[in-house]
Amino acid sequence: MAVRSDARDAAGKYWLLVLMLAAWELSGRLGLVDQAFVPSLSAALSAVFDMWERTHLFMHVMVSLARVTAGLLAAAAVGVPLAYLLGRTLPGLAERIEALLRVFALINPYCVFPLFVVFFGAGELPKIAVLAWVSLWPVLFGTLAGVRGVDPALIRTARSMAAGSSAVFWKVVLPAASPSVFNGMRTGVGMSFFILIAAEMTGATAGLGWIVHSAGALNQVPRIYGAGLCIVLLGVLLNRSLLFFGNGLFFWWKSGTDPLAGVRTEGAARRLGLRSALAAAALFAVAMGVGAYEIWRAEALLNDPGEMPEYRVWAE
Amino acid sequence: MKLFRAKETAVSLFYRGGSVVIFVILWQLACSAGLAPETFVASPATILRTLWQYALDGSLYRHSSVSLARAFYGFVLAVAVAVPVGFMLGGWFKNFERAVGPLLAFLGQFNPFALFSVFLLLFGIGEVSKVAMIFWVAVWPILYNASLGVRTVDPLHVKLARSMGMGRVRLLWKIVVPSSASFLFAGLRLSAATAFFMLIPAEMMGASRGLGWLIMNAQVNYQIPKLYTGTLVIVVFGILIDALFRFLERKVVVWKGAGQM
Repeated sequence: MAVRSDARDAAGKYWLLVLMLAAWELSGRLGLVDQAFVPSLSAALSAVFDMWERTHLFMHVMVSLARVTAGLLAAAAVGVPLAYLLGRTLPGLAERIEALLRVFALINPYCVFPLFVVFFGAGELPKIAVLAWVSLWPVLFGTLAGVRGVDPALIRTARSMAAGSSAVFWKVVLPAASPSVFNGMRTGVGMSFFILIAAEMTGATAGLGWIVHSAGALNQVPRIYGAGLCIVLLGVLLNRSLLFFGNGLFFWWKSGTDPLAGVRTEGAARRLGLRSALAAAALFAVAMGVGAYEIWRAEALLNDPGEMPEYRVWAE
Repeated sequence: MKLFRAKETAVSLFYRGGSVVIFVILWQLACSAGLAPETFVASPATILRTLWQYALDGSLYRHSSVSLARAFYGFVLAVAVAVPVGFMLGGWFKNFERAVGPLLAFLGQFNPFALFSVFLLLFGIGEVSKVAMIFWVAVWPILYNASLGVRTVDPLHVKLARSMGMGRVRLLWKIVVPSSASFLFAGLRLSAATAFFMLIPAEMMGASRGLGWLIMNAQVNYQIPKLYTGTLVIVVFGILIDALFRFLERKVVVWKGAGQM
Protein backbone atom coordinates (compact mmCIF):
# COMPACT_ATOMS: atom_id res chain seq x y z
CA MET A 1 0.00 0.00 0.00
CA ALA A 2 2.68 2.45 1.05
CA VAL A 3 4.86 1.42 -1.87
CA ARG A 4 2.03 2.09 -4.27
CA SER A 5 1.32 5.56 -2.91
CA ASP A 6 5.03 6.29 -2.98
CA ALA A 7 5.14 5.31 -6.63
CA ARG A 8 2.18 7.54 -7.40
CA ASP A 9 3.83 10.32 -5.48
CA ALA A 10 7.02 9.97 -7.52
CA ALA A 11 5.03 9.85 -10.76
CA GLY A 12 3.26 13.07 -9.85
CA LYS A 13 6.56 14.69 -9.05
CA TYR A 14 8.71 13.66 -11.95
CA TRP A 15 6.47 13.22 -14.98
CA LEU A 16 7.35 16.62 -16.40
CA LEU A 17 11.06 15.94 -16.02
CA VAL A 18 10.70 12.55 -17.67
CA LEU A 19 8.69 14.13 -20.45
CA MET A 20 11.45 16.64 -21.08
CA LEU A 21 14.14 13.95 -21.12
CA ALA A 22 12.06 11.94 -23.59
CA ALA A 23 11.65 15.03 -25.78
CA TRP A 24 15.43 15.51 -25.70
CA GLU A 25 16.02 11.92 -26.81
CA LEU A 26 13.33 12.01 -29.51
CA SER A 27 14.38 15.35 -30.99
CA GLY A 28 17.81 13.89 -31.61
CA ARG A 29 16.44 10.64 -33.01
CA LEU A 30 13.96 12.32 -35.32
CA GLY A 31 16.61 14.70 -36.64
CA LEU A 32 14.91 17.84 -35.32
CA VAL A 33 18.23 19.08 -33.96
CA ASP A 34 21.71 18.50 -35.25
CA GLN A 35 23.25 15.60 -33.35
CA ALA A 36 26.68 17.13 -33.78
CA PHE A 37 25.62 20.01 -31.51
CA VAL A 38 22.95 18.42 -29.36
CA PRO A 39 23.56 14.70 -29.02
CA SER A 40 20.60 12.72 -27.76
CA LEU A 41 20.26 11.64 -24.15
CA SER A 42 21.35 8.09 -24.95
CA ALA A 43 24.54 9.38 -26.61
CA ALA A 44 25.30 11.50 -23.53
CA LEU A 45 24.68 8.53 -21.23
CA SER A 46 26.89 6.24 -23.28
CA ALA A 47 29.58 8.92 -23.10
CA VAL A 48 29.23 8.76 -19.31
CA PHE A 49 29.74 4.99 -19.32
CA ASP A 50 32.64 5.32 -21.70
CA MET A 51 34.32 7.88 -19.48
CA TRP A 52 33.69 5.70 -16.43
CA GLU A 53 35.44 2.76 -18.07
CA ARG A 54 38.25 4.44 -19.94
CA THR A 55 39.06 7.87 -18.59
CA HIS A 56 38.72 7.63 -14.81
CA LEU A 57 35.36 9.36 -14.41
CA PHE A 58 35.13 8.19 -10.79
CA MET A 59 38.42 9.87 -10.01
CA HIS A 60 37.25 13.17 -11.47
CA VAL A 61 33.95 13.04 -9.59
CA MET A 62 35.70 12.35 -6.30
CA VAL A 63 38.23 15.12 -6.92
CA SER A 64 35.43 17.65 -7.49
CA LEU A 65 33.50 16.40 -4.47
CA ALA A 66 36.54 16.60 -2.22
CA ARG A 67 37.22 20.18 -3.31
CA VAL A 68 33.67 21.30 -2.56
CA THR A 69 33.68 19.52 0.80
CA ALA A 70 37.03 20.98 1.81
CA GLY A 71 35.88 24.46 0.83
CA LEU A 72 32.65 24.10 2.79
CA LEU A 73 34.42 22.77 5.88
CA ALA A 74 36.88 25.65 5.78
CA ALA A 75 34.03 28.16 5.39
CA ALA A 76 32.14 26.58 8.29
CA ALA A 77 35.24 26.51 10.47
CA VAL A 78 35.76 30.24 9.96
CA GLY A 79 32.23 31.51 9.42
CA VAL A 80 30.28 29.83 12.21
CA PRO A 81 32.50 30.85 15.15
CA LEU A 82 33.00 34.32 13.69
CA ALA A 83 29.28 34.87 13.21
CA TYR A 84 28.55 33.49 16.68
CA LEU A 85 31.09 35.89 18.15
CA LEU A 86 29.60 38.81 16.22
CA GLY A 87 26.00 37.91 16.87
CA ARG A 88 26.16 36.98 20.56
CA THR A 89 29.20 38.61 22.10
CA LEU A 90 29.55 41.76 20.05
CA PRO A 91 26.10 42.54 18.61
CA GLY A 92 26.86 46.27 18.44
CA LEU A 93 29.95 45.69 16.36
CA ALA A 94 28.05 43.25 14.14
CA GLU A 95 25.47 45.90 13.37
CA ARG A 96 28.12 48.43 12.49
CA ILE A 97 30.25 46.22 10.25
CA GLU A 98 27.39 44.50 8.48
CA ALA A 99 27.65 46.89 5.51
CA LEU A 100 31.31 46.03 5.15
CA LEU A 101 30.53 42.32 5.21
CA ARG A 102 27.83 42.82 2.57
CA VAL A 103 30.36 44.58 0.35
CA PHE A 104 32.79 41.68 0.82
CA ALA A 105 30.06 39.24 -0.11
CA LEU A 106 29.48 41.16 -3.33
CA ILE A 107 33.08 40.72 -4.46
CA ASN A 108 32.96 38.42 -7.43
CA PRO A 109 34.80 35.14 -6.72
CA TYR A 110 36.22 35.20 -10.22
CA CYS A 111 37.99 38.44 -9.31
CA VAL A 112 39.27 36.85 -6.12
CA PHE A 113 40.52 33.71 -7.80
CA PRO A 114 43.51 35.36 -9.56
CA LEU A 115 44.45 36.96 -6.24
CA PHE A 116 44.29 33.61 -4.49
CA VAL A 117 46.52 32.15 -7.17
CA VAL A 118 48.98 34.94 -6.43
CA PHE A 119 48.73 34.28 -2.70
CA PHE A 120 48.65 30.49 -2.59
CA GLY A 121 50.40 29.53 -5.81
CA ALA A 122 49.07 26.96 -8.25
CA GLY A 123 47.69 23.64 -7.05
CA GLU A 124 44.75 22.75 -4.85
CA LEU A 125 44.95 25.55 -2.32
CA PRO A 126 43.65 28.49 -4.41
CA LYS A 127 40.74 26.41 -5.69
CA ILE A 128 39.71 25.33 -2.21
CA ALA A 129 40.24 28.88 -0.98
CA VAL A 130 37.94 30.35 -3.62
CA LEU A 131 35.28 27.73 -2.83
CA ALA A 132 35.66 28.57 0.86
CA TRP A 133 35.31 32.27 0.02
CA VAL A 134 32.11 31.60 -1.89
CA SER A 135 30.54 29.49 0.87
CA LEU A 136 31.79 31.72 3.67
CA TRP A 137 29.21 34.48 3.11
CA PRO A 138 26.03 32.40 3.11
CA VAL A 139 27.34 30.48 6.14
CA LEU A 140 28.27 33.70 7.94
CA PHE A 141 24.99 35.49 7.24
CA GLY A 142 22.99 32.34 7.93
CA THR A 143 24.65 31.88 11.32
CA LEU A 144 24.29 35.56 12.13
CA ALA A 145 20.58 35.45 11.31
CA GLY A 146 20.19 32.26 13.33
CA VAL A 147 21.99 33.57 16.39
CA ARG A 148 20.09 36.87 16.25
CA GLY A 149 16.78 35.13 15.78
CA VAL A 150 17.00 33.15 19.01
CA ASP A 151 14.00 34.11 21.10
CA PRO A 152 15.38 36.17 24.01
CA ALA A 153 12.60 34.83 26.22
CA LEU A 154 14.05 31.33 25.81
CA ILE A 155 17.47 32.53 26.93
CA ARG A 156 16.00 34.42 29.88
CA THR A 157 13.98 31.41 30.90
CA ALA A 158 17.05 29.21 30.80
CA ARG A 159 19.02 31.81 32.76
CA SER A 160 16.33 32.11 35.39
CA MET A 161 16.57 28.39 35.88
CA ALA A 162 20.22 28.86 36.70
CA ALA A 163 21.62 27.56 33.43
CA GLY A 164 25.25 28.53 32.98
CA SER A 165 26.50 30.19 29.82
CA SER A 166 27.73 26.89 28.38
CA ALA A 167 24.38 25.27 29.07
CA VAL A 168 22.62 28.20 27.42
CA PHE A 169 24.86 27.75 24.40
CA TRP A 170 24.44 23.99 24.07
CA LYS A 171 20.80 23.71 25.04
CA VAL A 172 19.24 26.91 23.70
CA VAL A 173 21.31 28.94 21.25
CA LEU A 174 22.81 26.11 19.25
CA PRO A 175 19.56 24.18 18.66
CA ALA A 176 17.69 27.39 17.83
CA ALA A 177 20.31 28.67 15.41
CA SER A 178 21.41 25.46 13.74
CA PRO A 179 18.68 25.24 11.07
CA SER A 180 19.65 28.67 9.84
CA VAL A 181 23.34 27.73 9.89
CA PHE A 182 22.51 24.63 7.96
CA ASN A 183 20.53 26.58 5.35
CA GLY A 184 23.50 28.86 4.89
CA MET A 185 25.70 25.84 4.32
CA ARG A 186 23.29 24.47 1.74
CA THR A 187 23.32 27.75 -0.17
CA GLY A 188 27.10 27.70 0.08
CA VAL A 189 27.31 24.21 -1.41
CA GLY A 190 25.08 25.22 -4.30
CA MET A 191 27.15 28.28 -5.08
CA SER A 192 30.49 26.58 -4.72
CA PHE A 193 29.35 23.90 -7.14
CA PHE A 194 28.66 26.66 -9.62
CA ILE A 195 32.10 28.17 -9.15
CA LEU A 196 33.95 24.88 -8.97
CA ILE A 197 33.38 24.02 -12.61
CA ALA A 198 34.75 27.38 -13.74
CA ALA A 199 37.73 27.12 -11.40
CA GLU A 200 38.51 23.65 -12.70
CA MET A 201 38.19 24.81 -16.27
CA THR A 202 40.78 27.55 -15.96
CA GLY A 203 43.57 25.84 -14.15
CA ALA A 204 43.17 22.21 -13.16
CA THR A 205 44.26 18.82 -14.35
CA ALA A 206 41.39 16.82 -12.88
CA GLY A 207 37.77 17.18 -11.92
CA LEU A 208 34.47 17.48 -13.73
CA GLY A 209 35.24 21.01 -14.92
CA TRP A 210 38.43 19.73 -16.43
CA ILE A 211 36.51 17.05 -18.34
CA VAL A 212 34.18 19.70 -19.76
CA HIS A 213 37.12 21.86 -20.71
CA SER A 214 39.16 19.15 -22.38
CA ALA A 215 36.13 17.67 -24.13
CA GLY A 216 35.31 21.14 -25.43
CA ALA A 217 38.85 21.63 -26.67
CA LEU A 218 38.85 18.23 -28.35
CA ASN A 219 35.35 18.72 -29.78
CA GLN A 220 33.95 15.64 -28.02
CA VAL A 221 30.42 16.98 -27.77
CA PRO A 222 28.72 13.91 -26.19
CA ARG A 223 31.32 14.03 -23.42
CA ILE A 224 30.43 17.65 -22.66
CA TYR A 225 26.82 16.65 -22.19
CA GLY A 226 27.83 13.55 -20.25
CA ALA A 227 29.95 15.59 -17.88
CA GLY A 228 27.10 18.10 -17.63
CA LEU A 229 24.75 15.29 -16.58
CA CYS A 230 27.26 14.15 -13.96
CA ILE A 231 27.47 17.70 -12.59
CA VAL A 232 23.68 17.95 -12.39
CA LEU A 233 23.41 14.55 -10.70
CA LEU A 234 26.15 15.31 -8.20
CA GLY A 235 24.61 18.69 -7.41
CA VAL A 236 21.14 17.25 -6.88
CA LEU A 237 22.50 14.36 -4.80
CA LEU A 238 24.51 16.66 -2.58
CA ASN A 239 21.53 18.97 -2.08
CA ARG A 240 19.22 16.06 -1.35
CA SER A 241 21.51 14.39 1.14
CA LEU A 242 22.03 17.68 2.97
CA LEU A 243 18.28 18.19 3.04
CA PHE A 244 17.77 14.66 4.33
CA PHE A 245 20.21 15.13 7.18
CA GLY A 246 18.87 18.59 7.89
CA ASN A 247 15.31 17.35 8.15
CA GLY A 248 16.38 14.49 10.39
CA LEU A 249 18.64 16.46 12.69
CA PHE A 250 16.51 19.58 12.98
CA PHE A 251 13.16 17.90 13.33
CA TRP A 252 11.77 21.07 14.90
CA TRP A 253 12.40 22.84 11.60
CA LYS A 254 9.73 25.26 10.52
CA SER A 255 7.63 23.76 7.81
CA GLY A 256 7.73 25.16 4.34
CA THR A 257 8.84 24.32 0.87
CA ASP A 258 12.35 24.38 -0.34
CA PRO A 259 12.67 26.63 -3.36
CA LEU A 260 13.83 24.93 -6.56
CA ALA A 261 14.39 21.52 -5.02
CA GLY A 262 10.67 20.91 -5.12
CA VAL A 263 10.87 19.08 -1.84
CA ARG A 264 8.35 19.52 0.89
CA THR A 265 10.08 19.99 4.18
CA GLU A 266 6.86 20.08 6.14
CA GLY A 267 5.95 17.03 8.19
CA ALA A 268 9.54 16.43 9.18
CA ALA A 269 11.18 13.22 8.10
CA ARG A 270 12.36 10.49 10.39
CA ARG A 271 14.23 11.89 13.31
CA LEU A 272 17.92 11.15 13.23
CA GLY A 273 19.81 10.63 16.41
CA LEU A 274 23.39 11.33 17.35
CA ARG A 275 24.46 8.00 15.95
CA SER A 276 23.16 8.81 12.49
CA ALA A 277 24.84 12.19 12.62
CA LEU A 278 28.12 10.48 13.47
CA ALA A 279 27.58 8.03 10.62
CA ALA A 280 27.03 10.94 8.25
CA ALA A 281 30.20 12.61 9.50
CA ALA A 282 32.10 9.36 8.97
CA LEU A 283 30.70 9.14 5.45
CA PHE A 284 31.92 12.67 4.76
CA ALA A 285 35.33 11.82 6.17
CA VAL A 286 35.58 8.75 3.94
CA ALA A 287 34.55 10.79 0.91
CA MET A 288 37.21 13.34 1.78
CA GLY A 289 39.82 10.64 2.18
CA VAL A 290 38.97 9.01 -1.12
CA GLY A 291 38.94 12.43 -2.75
CA ALA A 292 42.37 13.30 -1.38
CA TYR A 293 43.68 9.96 -2.62
CA GLU A 294 42.16 10.59 -6.06
CA ILE A 295 43.71 14.06 -6.23
CA TRP A 296 47.05 12.45 -5.51
CA ARG A 297 46.33 9.79 -8.14
CA ALA A 298 45.42 12.44 -10.71
CA GLU A 299 48.79 14.06 -10.10
CA ALA A 300 50.50 10.72 -10.55
CA LEU A 301 48.58 10.02 -13.76
CA LEU A 302 49.59 13.41 -15.08
CA ASN A 303 53.22 12.39 -14.80
CA ASP A 304 52.54 9.09 -16.54
CA PRO A 305 51.95 10.03 -20.17
CA GLY A 306 51.10 6.49 -21.21
CA GLU A 307 48.02 6.49 -19.00
CA MET A 308 45.74 9.18 -20.34
CA PRO A 309 45.87 10.32 -23.92
CA GLU A 310 43.80 13.42 -23.08
CA TYR A 311 46.45 14.63 -20.71
CA ARG A 312 49.10 14.34 -23.34
CA VAL A 313 47.03 16.24 -25.87
CA TRP A 314 46.74 19.06 -23.37
CA ALA A 315 50.35 19.07 -22.37
CA GLU A 316 51.57 19.41 -25.92
CA MET B 1 11.68 68.60 12.30
CA LYS B 2 13.08 68.21 8.82
CA LEU B 3 16.53 69.06 10.05
CA PHE B 4 16.20 66.44 12.74
CA ARG B 5 15.31 63.81 10.21
CA ALA B 6 18.24 64.76 7.99
CA LYS B 7 20.53 64.41 10.97
CA GLU B 8 19.02 61.05 11.76
CA THR B 9 19.61 59.73 8.22
CA ALA B 10 23.17 61.02 8.33
CA VAL B 11 23.78 59.14 11.57
CA SER B 12 22.21 55.92 10.27
CA LEU B 13 24.16 56.28 7.04
CA PHE B 14 27.33 56.61 9.05
CA TYR B 15 26.43 53.54 11.07
CA ARG B 16 25.80 51.56 7.93
CA GLY B 17 28.61 52.92 5.77
CA GLY B 18 31.08 53.92 8.44
CA SER B 19 32.63 50.48 8.68
CA VAL B 20 33.48 50.57 4.98
CA VAL B 21 35.17 53.96 5.34
CA ILE B 22 37.11 52.84 8.40
CA PHE B 23 38.18 49.67 6.62
CA VAL B 24 39.47 51.65 3.63
CA ILE B 25 41.38 54.02 5.93
CA LEU B 26 42.96 51.11 7.80
CA TRP B 27 43.85 49.46 4.52
CA GLN B 28 45.51 52.63 3.27
CA LEU B 29 47.42 53.02 6.55
CA ALA B 30 48.62 49.42 6.42
CA CYS B 31 49.85 49.92 2.87
CA SER B 32 51.54 53.22 3.66
CA ALA B 33 53.25 51.71 6.70
CA GLY B 34 54.52 48.87 4.53
CA LEU B 35 52.65 46.20 6.49
CA ALA B 36 51.09 44.75 3.35
CA PRO B 37 53.37 43.43 0.60
CA GLU B 38 53.02 45.83 -2.31
CA THR B 39 53.33 43.06 -4.88
CA PHE B 40 50.12 41.43 -3.62
CA VAL B 41 48.05 44.24 -2.18
CA ALA B 42 47.34 47.52 -3.90
CA SER B 43 46.61 50.48 -1.65
CA PRO B 44 43.30 52.36 -2.03
CA ALA B 45 45.20 55.40 -3.28
CA THR B 46 46.79 53.33 -6.05
CA ILE B 47 43.42 51.86 -6.94
CA LEU B 48 41.84 55.30 -7.16
CA ARG B 49 44.73 56.57 -9.25
CA THR B 50 44.35 53.63 -11.65
CA LEU B 51 40.61 54.20 -11.76
CA TRP B 52 41.11 57.88 -12.57
CA GLN B 53 43.55 56.94 -15.30
CA TYR B 54 41.02 54.49 -16.76
CA ALA B 55 38.31 57.11 -16.60
CA LEU B 56 40.51 59.63 -18.42
CA ASP B 57 41.62 57.39 -21.26
CA GLY B 58 38.08 56.14 -21.83
CA SER B 59 38.75 52.48 -21.17
CA LEU B 60 36.57 52.48 -18.05
CA TYR B 61 33.62 53.62 -20.11
CA ARG B 62 34.40 51.25 -22.97
CA HIS B 63 34.73 48.09 -20.91
CA SER B 64 31.82 48.93 -18.59
CA SER B 65 29.46 49.75 -21.43
CA VAL B 66 30.31 46.52 -23.25
CA SER B 67 29.77 44.47 -20.07
CA LEU B 68 26.57 46.23 -19.10
CA ALA B 69 25.18 45.85 -22.60
CA ARG B 70 25.83 42.09 -22.55
CA ALA B 71 24.25 41.71 -19.14
CA PHE B 72 21.32 43.87 -20.22
CA TYR B 73 20.57 41.92 -23.39
CA GLY B 74 20.83 38.57 -21.62
CA PHE B 75 18.60 39.82 -18.82
CA VAL B 76 15.97 41.35 -21.13
CA LEU B 77 15.80 38.18 -23.19
CA ALA B 78 15.41 36.16 -19.99
CA VAL B 79 12.57 38.43 -18.84
CA ALA B 80 10.86 38.20 -22.22
CA VAL B 81 10.93 34.41 -22.12
CA ALA B 82 10.61 33.62 -18.43
CA VAL B 83 7.72 35.89 -17.41
CA PRO B 84 5.14 34.52 -19.88
CA VAL B 85 6.36 30.94 -19.52
CA GLY B 86 6.43 31.23 -15.74
CA PHE B 87 2.88 32.61 -15.68
CA MET B 88 1.72 29.78 -17.90
CA LEU B 89 3.46 27.10 -15.84
CA GLY B 90 2.06 28.54 -12.63
CA GLY B 91 -1.41 28.87 -14.08
CA TRP B 92 -1.67 25.49 -15.75
CA PHE B 93 -0.04 23.04 -13.42
CA LYS B 94 -2.18 22.58 -10.38
CA ASN B 95 0.42 20.41 -8.68
CA PHE B 96 3.04 22.94 -9.65
CA GLU B 97 5.52 22.50 -6.82
CA ARG B 98 5.62 18.79 -7.43
CA ALA B 99 5.84 18.66 -11.22
CA VAL B 100 7.59 21.88 -12.21
CA GLY B 101 9.94 22.13 -9.23
CA PRO B 102 12.04 19.04 -10.09
CA LEU B 103 12.22 20.09 -13.75
CA LEU B 104 13.43 23.57 -12.89
CA ALA B 105 15.88 22.14 -10.36
CA PHE B 106 17.31 19.84 -13.01
CA LEU B 107 17.62 22.52 -15.66
CA GLY B 108 18.90 25.16 -13.25
CA GLN B 109 21.63 22.80 -12.12
CA PHE B 110 22.88 22.53 -15.68
CA ASN B 111 26.02 24.52 -15.14
CA PRO B 112 26.47 27.32 -17.70
CA PHE B 113 30.17 26.53 -17.91
CA ALA B 114 29.44 22.99 -18.92
CA LEU B 115 27.32 24.51 -21.66
CA PHE B 116 29.89 27.10 -22.64
CA SER B 117 31.54 24.93 -25.28
CA VAL B 118 28.11 24.04 -26.62
CA PHE B 119 27.11 27.67 -26.81
CA LEU B 120 30.35 28.35 -28.66
CA LEU B 121 29.47 25.62 -31.14
CA LEU B 122 25.91 26.84 -31.56
CA PHE B 123 26.37 30.59 -31.54
CA GLY B 124 29.97 31.16 -32.55
CA ILE B 125 32.58 33.14 -30.66
CA GLY B 126 30.88 36.53 -30.90
CA GLU B 127 28.53 38.36 -28.59
CA VAL B 128 25.70 35.87 -28.98
CA SER B 129 27.36 33.07 -27.03
CA LYS B 130 28.00 35.35 -24.06
CA VAL B 131 24.50 36.75 -24.12
CA ALA B 132 23.18 33.18 -24.35
CA MET B 133 25.16 32.19 -21.27
CA ILE B 134 23.82 35.14 -19.30
CA PHE B 135 20.33 34.38 -20.55
CA TRP B 136 20.70 30.82 -19.30
CA VAL B 137 21.58 31.81 -15.73
CA ALA B 138 19.12 34.73 -15.62
CA VAL B 139 16.11 32.79 -16.79
CA TRP B 140 15.64 30.39 -13.83
CA PRO B 141 15.06 32.77 -10.93
CA ILE B 142 12.45 34.73 -12.92
CA LEU B 143 10.76 31.59 -14.16
CA TYR B 144 10.51 30.13 -10.69
CA ASN B 145 9.32 33.31 -9.00
CA ALA B 146 6.84 34.22 -11.74
CA SER B 147 5.20 30.82 -11.55
CA LEU B 148 5.26 30.87 -7.75
CA GLY B 149 3.68 34.33 -7.81
CA VAL B 150 0.81 33.11 -9.99
CA ARG B 151 0.30 30.15 -7.67
CA THR B 152 -0.12 32.42 -4.68
CA VAL B 153 -2.82 34.63 -6.22
CA ASP B 154 -5.78 34.55 -3.88
CA PRO B 155 -8.43 32.40 -5.63
CA LEU B 156 -11.14 34.50 -4.00
CA HIS B 157 -9.97 37.56 -5.90
CA VAL B 158 -10.07 35.63 -9.17
CA LYS B 159 -13.57 34.29 -8.43
CA LEU B 160 -14.79 37.73 -7.45
CA ALA B 161 -13.44 39.29 -10.64
CA ARG B 162 -14.93 36.49 -12.73
CA SER B 163 -18.31 36.83 -11.12
CA MET B 164 -18.28 40.50 -12.00
CA GLY B 165 -17.73 39.56 -15.62
CA MET B 166 -14.10 40.42 -16.00
CA GLY B 167 -12.49 39.15 -19.20
CA ARG B 168 -9.33 37.08 -19.35
CA VAL B 169 -7.00 39.87 -20.39
CA ARG B 170 -8.26 42.25 -17.77
CA LEU B 171 -8.15 39.49 -15.18
CA LEU B 172 -4.48 38.94 -15.96
CA TRP B 173 -3.71 42.62 -15.93
CA LYS B 174 -5.80 43.67 -12.93
CA ILE B 175 -5.56 40.65 -10.61
CA VAL B 176 -2.83 38.21 -11.50
CA VAL B 177 0.00 40.59 -12.33
CA PRO B 178 -0.45 42.90 -9.31
CA SER B 179 -0.84 39.95 -6.92
CA SER B 180 2.32 38.27 -8.09
CA ALA B 181 4.33 41.46 -8.56
CA SER B 182 6.33 41.21 -5.36
CA PHE B 183 7.40 37.67 -6.22
CA LEU B 184 8.18 38.78 -9.73
CA PHE B 185 10.35 41.60 -8.48
CA ALA B 186 12.23 39.29 -6.14
CA GLY B 187 12.93 37.07 -9.15
CA LEU B 188 14.00 40.01 -11.29
CA ARG B 189 16.39 41.30 -8.66
CA LEU B 190 17.96 37.90 -8.09
CA SER B 191 18.23 37.31 -11.79
CA ALA B 192 19.83 40.69 -12.53
CA ALA B 193 22.39 40.07 -9.80
CA THR B 194 23.11 36.59 -11.19
CA ALA B 195 23.38 37.93 -14.73
CA PHE B 196 25.99 40.46 -13.74
CA PHE B 197 27.74 37.89 -11.55
CA MET B 198 28.02 35.38 -14.38
CA LEU B 199 29.08 37.97 -16.90
CA ILE B 200 32.56 38.16 -15.43
CA PRO B 201 33.56 34.50 -15.99
CA ALA B 202 31.82 34.54 -19.38
CA GLU B 203 34.03 37.43 -20.41
CA MET B 204 37.08 35.82 -18.89
CA MET B 205 36.73 32.78 -21.09
CA GLY B 206 36.49 34.29 -24.51
CA ALA B 207 36.26 38.02 -24.95
CA SER B 208 38.50 40.86 -25.95
CA ARG B 209 36.62 43.61 -24.12
CA GLY B 210 34.59 44.01 -20.98
CA LEU B 211 35.20 44.02 -17.25
CA GLY B 212 35.84 40.28 -17.08
CA TRP B 213 38.45 40.62 -19.76
CA LEU B 214 39.99 43.49 -17.81
CA ILE B 215 40.39 41.24 -14.77
CA MET B 216 41.75 38.40 -16.86
CA ASN B 217 44.19 40.65 -18.66
CA ALA B 218 45.42 42.16 -15.39
CA GLN B 219 45.95 38.68 -13.98
CA VAL B 220 47.87 37.41 -16.99
CA ASN B 221 50.09 40.49 -17.07
CA TYR B 222 50.44 40.49 -13.29
CA GLN B 223 49.12 44.03 -12.92
CA ILE B 224 47.86 43.89 -9.35
CA PRO B 225 46.49 47.48 -9.18
CA LYS B 226 44.42 46.84 -12.31
CA LEU B 227 43.08 43.64 -10.77
CA TYR B 228 41.90 45.50 -7.68
CA THR B 229 40.49 48.36 -9.73
CA GLY B 230 38.46 46.00 -11.91
CA THR B 231 37.17 44.23 -8.81
CA LEU B 232 36.14 47.56 -7.29
CA VAL B 233 34.27 48.62 -10.43
CA ILE B 234 32.41 45.31 -10.51
CA VAL B 235 31.43 45.60 -6.84
CA VAL B 236 30.14 49.13 -7.38
CA PHE B 237 28.05 48.02 -10.35
CA GLY B 238 26.71 45.12 -8.29
CA ILE B 239 25.60 47.51 -5.54
CA LEU B 240 24.05 49.89 -8.08
CA ILE B 241 22.09 47.14 -9.83
CA ASP B 242 20.74 45.87 -6.52
CA ALA B 243 19.79 49.40 -5.46
CA LEU B 244 18.11 50.07 -8.80
CA PHE B 245 15.87 47.03 -8.49
CA ARG B 246 15.01 47.79 -4.88
CA PHE B 247 14.10 51.33 -5.92
CA LEU B 248 11.97 50.11 -8.83
CA GLU B 249 10.19 47.64 -6.58
CA ARG B 250 9.38 50.36 -4.05
CA LYS B 251 8.07 52.62 -6.81
CA VAL B 252 6.05 50.01 -8.69
CA VAL B 253 4.73 47.73 -5.98
CA VAL B 254 3.25 50.54 -3.90
CA TRP B 255 0.36 48.39 -2.71
CA LYS B 256 2.57 45.86 -0.97
CA GLY B 257 1.08 46.07 2.49
CA ALA B 258 0.69 44.14 5.66
CA GLY B 259 -1.40 41.36 4.18
CA GLN B 260 1.11 40.33 1.57
CA MET B 261 4.58 39.02 1.95
